[in-house]
Amino acid sequence: MSDKYIRAISADAVAPGGMKAVELDGKEIVVCNCGGKYYAVQRRCGHMNAPLDMGTLDGMYLTCAMHCAQFDVATGEALSGPVPPDFGGETPPRLLGEYFQNVGMLMGRIRTESIRTYPTKLEAGWVLVAPQAGD
Amino acid sequence: MNTESRKKALHYFYEKVVGPLGFKFTPDAELREFLLEQEVILEGKHGVPFCPCQPLRHDRARDMQIVCPCIPFHRKHFDAIQRCWCGLFVHQDVTDPDKLPQLPPKEVGLE
Amino acid sequence: MKKVSMYTLSTCPWCRKTKKFFADHKVPFDYIDYDLADEATQRRIMQELDAAGASGFPFVKIADEVIVGYQPERYASALGLQGGDE
Repeated sequence: MSDKYIRAISADAVAPGGMKAVELDGKEIVVCNCGGKYYAVQRRCGHMNAPLDMGTLDGMYLTCAMHCAQFDVATGEALSGPVPPDFGGETPPRLLGEYFQNVGMLMGRIRTESIRTYPTKLEAGWVLVAPQAGD
Repeated sequence: MNTESRKKALHYFYEKVVGPLGFKFTPDAELREFLLEQEVILEGKHGVPFCPCQPLRHDRARDMQIVCPCIPFHRKHFDAIQRCWCGLFVHQDVTDPDKLPQLPPKEVGLE
Repeated sequence: MKKVSMYTLSTCPWCRKTKKFFADHKVPFDYIDYDLADEATQRRIMQELDAAGASGFPFVKIADEVIVGYQPERYASALGLQGGDE
């Protein structure tokens, strides 16, 4: 496991509260800007592998867009699992409704794992990440 | 999942919501910690942090009205008693939460 | 002695205080923890609450009197006890 840091992205390219996905050494990584401090986590949600850069970042907390699993980006810790889906007040056609219920049931049983974090450094306006040193 | 980490996260999210509504976390630390812990358990069970002191009706529309913080759905009632039903939140000027009785809407001139 | 029964939630600290109040005053009571009950019982309980125009727990019945919310003074007064404070 090398600690080799690679330039991931220009610091200016990730606004405070924002996230950007990059590929480093074959790994998909998301760089997060938490009020000026940069963190790097694996791109795949610890629940069902959705791209976390399409979620939301609030403080240190990243919420996945797919089923709302939440993670602490500093530690990678999974804080909560998926939220059961809501299909609104309307009744869907029977087969479709049953399909959704089945998927919802399966989805709820899939464990949410904590996500890998990668060490970062800020140097000369660049966010550096060590992709081989992930937890 | 770690209960303490989840409580911290819930605390962070809730604070931002209840402040603008005129509420704050109860100064009763023991009650606050207990209720947050119950919410983490309920979230683990149901996927959503429900109020530990109100019943789930298994009717989505109604159950969404007791997702914490449920203040917006019970505004008049909670403003009248200066606290939310379970007491996790109280009005911002409350210093002695023990003095706030748990009164239902009918007993404060509502409903 | 008046019959005391209540509907409570196992996750609610006020419901615990309510049970403790009656236990401390040596008043026997029945209770059902709504959240631990089966669906049919839950439906029955909610029907009773709706009929009483209530939607909160603890839901305490002392003879014919219904008291919603943790209200030790009212429990004491309904039972004719001295002093309501825990």
